[in-house]
Amino acid sequence: MNDFNLSSNGHLAIEAKDLSCYYGDFRAVKNVDLDIKQHAITALIGPSGCGKSTVLRAFNRMNDLIPVAHAEGEILFHGANIYAEGVDPVEIRRRIGMVFQKPNPFPKSIYDNVAWGAKINGFKGSKQEMDQLVEESLRDAAIWDEVKDKLDQSGLSLSGGQQQRLCIARTIAVKPEIILMDEPASALDPISTLRIEELIQELKKNYTIVIVTHNMQQAARASDFTAFFNMDNDRAGYLVEYNVTQTIFTSPAKELTDQYITGRFG
Amino acid sequence: MIDNEYIQKKVEQDFADYYPAGDEMQSQISGRRTRGKLFFWVFLVATMVAIIALLTLLVTIINQSFGLVAEQVVIPEETLVTDFNKTRVTSAANIIESSEDDESLAAGIEVDPNGVGFFGYAFYAENQDKLKALSIDGVAPTEGNVFGGEYPGTRPLYIYSAAEIIEEKPQVAAFLAYYLENLKIVSDVGYFAADEEALDQQQAAILEALGVEELPHINPADFEGDISVSGSSTVFPVTVAMAEKFKTDGFKGEIFVESTGTGGGFNAFCKGTEGIDIVDASREVDTIEFEACRAAGLNVNEYLIGQDAVVAAVSAVNDFADDISRDQLELLFTDSVNWSDVDDTWPAQSINRFIPTAESGTMDFFVRSIFDEQTLANLPYYALVNIYSSNVTVGRCRAIERERRFYLDQLVCDNPEAFAAACAGDNPPSGCTEETWTHAELERMITAEVVQPKILASWYLFPSLFERQEIALEAATKYPNAELKFKSWLSMDFITSPQSSQPEIAGVRTAILGSLWVVFISILVAFPLGVAAALYLEEYADPRKRFNQVIQTNINNLAGVPSIIYGMLGLAVFVRFLEPITSGAAFGYVEAGATANGRTILSAGMTLGLLGLPIVIIAAQEAIKAVPPSLREASMGLGATKWQTIWNHVLPNAIPGILTGTILTMSRVIGETAPLVVVGASTFITTDPTSPFSKFTTLPAQIYQWTTRPQDTFRNIAGAAIIALLVMLLALNALAIYLRNRFSKRFA
Repeated sequence: MNDFNLSSNGHLAIEAKDLSCYYGDFRAVKNVDLDIKQHAITALIGPSGCGKSTVLRAFNRMNDLIPVAHAEGEILFHGANIYAEGVDPVEIRRRIGMVFQKPNPFPKSIYDNVAWGAKINGFKGSKQEMDQLVEESLRDAAIWDEVKDKLDQSGLSLSGGQQQRLCIARTIAVKPEIILMDEPASALDPISTLRIEELIQELKKNYTIVIVTHNMQQAARASDFTAFFNMDNDRAGYLVEYNVTQTIFTSPAKELTDQYITGRFG
Repeated sequence: MIDNEYIQKKVEQDFADYYPAGDEMQSQISGRRTRGKLFFWVFLVATMVAIIALLTLLVTIINQSFGLVAEQVVIPEETLVTDFNKTRVTSAANIIESSEDDESLAAGIEVDPNGVGFFGYAFYAENQDKLKALSIDGVAPTEGNVFGGEYPGTRPLYIYSAAEIIEEKPQVAAFLAYYLENLKIVSDVGYFAADEEALDQQQAAILEALGVEELPHINPADFEGDISVSGSSTVFPVTVAMAEKFKTDGFKGEIFVESTGTGGGFNAFCKGTEGIDIVDASREVDTIEFEACRAAGLNVNEYLIGQDAVVAAVSAVNDFADDISRDQLELLFTDSVNWSDVDDTWPAQSINRFIPTAESGTMDFFVRSIFDEQTLANLPYYALVNIYSSNVTVGRCRAIERERRFYLDQLVCDNPEAFAAACAGDNPPSGCTEETWTHAELERMITAEVVQPKILASWYLFPSLFERQEIALEAATKYPNAELKFKSWLSMDFITSPQSSQPEIAGVRTAILGSLWVVFISILVAFPLGVAAALYLEEYADPRKRFNQVIQTNINNLAGVPSIIYGMLGLAVFVRFLEPITSGAAFGYVEAGATANGRTILSAGMTLGLLGLPIVIIAAQEAIKAVPPSLREASMGLGATKWQTIWNHVLPNAIPGILTGTILTMSRVIGETAPLVVVGASTFITTDPTSPFSKFTTLPAQIYQWTTRPQDTFRNIAGAAIIALLVMLLALNALAIYLRNRFSKRFA
């Protein structure tokens, strides 16, 4: 973790520039500037309602699903603004995958859960190669051993922790460049949480990961960078402090950050 | 950020004291619980009311659909069969003599070794030296066998008069009473006299008819005036002997006895103008005769005087025939020519037949007790054709023959030239090409048009079960000649028969087929349109736009529009404006026979489809809304497009809900009446719908039409039709639910 610092010239995966997010007339997030480093784990933390999930969902235009939502400012992905006119949100989501708070496998077989994303995205391999892709994704998500004998069973028949790993397998099967995780372990028991955290560390080798979490230990344990958000008096979220995780948790620059990580509010 | 001031305040004011404690807490809790209990009872009562209402409905329908009926026929099936069998006997080959005079017949057989005939037992008994009785299946006509019921050809003997005649002519009353006092004469003549018990009943009947307590001793010398007796040749010798004795005892008047056969006797008697006082009968009076008498103001009284056996006899000089089976006996008097045709061991000599006329009760009795064919179902096809064609008008028969022929190679009623001309014409009748009528269809036609069972009265199920005695009494007085029987108005025949103006033979086949067609088409319209509209409104339309809000509100309100309005819409748009399409004319389709214009199944189906559309839309919208957003997010998060998400995740998950809505729609459509009446459901139609362009009627329309009829019996078949409708509804719903569950399983 110490290999990272904000000023290093590591490649940037996403750059948010003066990002503000609105739900109708309500401004949920204001003026966020945030650079996400490639092949690192960035944690977004902060109290409820501070807009960290909104920022995360802005990264792959998931907020578009809410009819009243819109964003101002820029989010650069490979140097291009994903909110620019003519950009297809489907392509953005294809390249920036997402794992949600509550495990949400499709009501399909385990195999189809993984294969479906590949199919709709035009996977060109043969049936055999598809089988390989499914196996590889499930192995990468560290769930292969548990499901290899029941690939034709419903994804809903798995336990919560297994379902979440299945969702991760489903996400990495389409080979995104970035994986956004919205409190992926909040609905899980401590053991499943630990397994997910280990998995995230593994995934870091190949993917850039942005993770929203409520759990400060998790952020401290599992991330390289941490961004702390808070809610301003106008109830809009804003970025308080962004730094290498160790710095945030040992010597934060802002007093608010210190109060939050020591549990005095939030 | 610790608010010390707030914590201080919190310590000072402890809200824990604000809550009831101890007993007070318990009573507070039990008070809450009591309120809950109250609501429990309200809900329970509501449920009970609903269940009772449903049960009442069911009971009412069942009460109407089953019960006792008093049924009377115009011509009994038995008479038709007997008449046909008599024709076979009287038209057999080589009839040497056909006469009412037994003496003459016996004289003929006596000298002819190949002669054969049949007589009443008495006559045979007198001539045992000259005639030889054939035993049937090894049973000879002895007294023991006749009383034991082993001999097949035994029958009762009666005399008949009428209450009106007995009252008017004392000498007739006296003769009847005298007759019953002196029944030993019956044995003297050679029959088997009625026993004591039967006799007592007879006398009681006479007392009643005379209106006296006790039968005065009859002194024939006290009476004068003439008595005229006619009828059976079998009873004839008894009556003659009785008349002689009556006169010997001092009767001052004359007694005329005539032998005309039982049928002939009743014919004359029931005219009421021939002066016949008493009928000799060797069978019971039949329905037609009874009714004829009633029409002439004569209420027939029946007196059983004894038993007789019918005996097939050959000459005493015949040396080969002794025993015969029933089948052989039938053959002997009908389709055979030589004795060897009946039995191989008999000579190839022609059978010389000496038989009574068709009028004779002996003839009736012989064919009824010996012949196998006792029902229409047992008769051969040609017999049914004969019965049908000889009992309906020529015009009717011709019409039936043009619909379908009886024989492919021969016409029964129509003129061959006229038929050929019709077939060569522009619009040939279906009879030119169709197969012939089947045996079963002919039976049904005979039952409907010849036998014509008429239900004079019907009773509902509950009275039928609990007041049977009273009903039996009422039926016996009001409809003495009708048969009281339990009838299930709902039967296989009811389901498979077409509509008819006679409730006895009316069925719901046309209506069921019409309903199925209409429902099918309406679902075909409502389902895809409804799902598409719901998808648009839920997935694409922006709910913030005024236009879409107006559409949504309209759809919600459309679900509550009275159905008759849809009927008027259907009439204006589908029946009138789109007539070329709905009548099928635009597709070059011409309905055989009368054109339905636009009043077709297609119009009705589309009208009801529109009626069901809002329900499908609303149900589908709810189902689509209920698909968890997390599923959409999962799909979109993988890079799926909106359509891929809808097609792969939203629709499959919404389909059970959508199908539930469709089932509701189907139930509603099946039960609709009003719009169909407006769109033009036929009130009377007997041809099955064959295409979307056919005329039609549906079950509810049929039920509605029947309940408006004045006759009671239409109410009964309306009840049966309601049960059929409910069963159809249940069956269709069960099928739909089964399909829905299979669908749901595929995605679970």
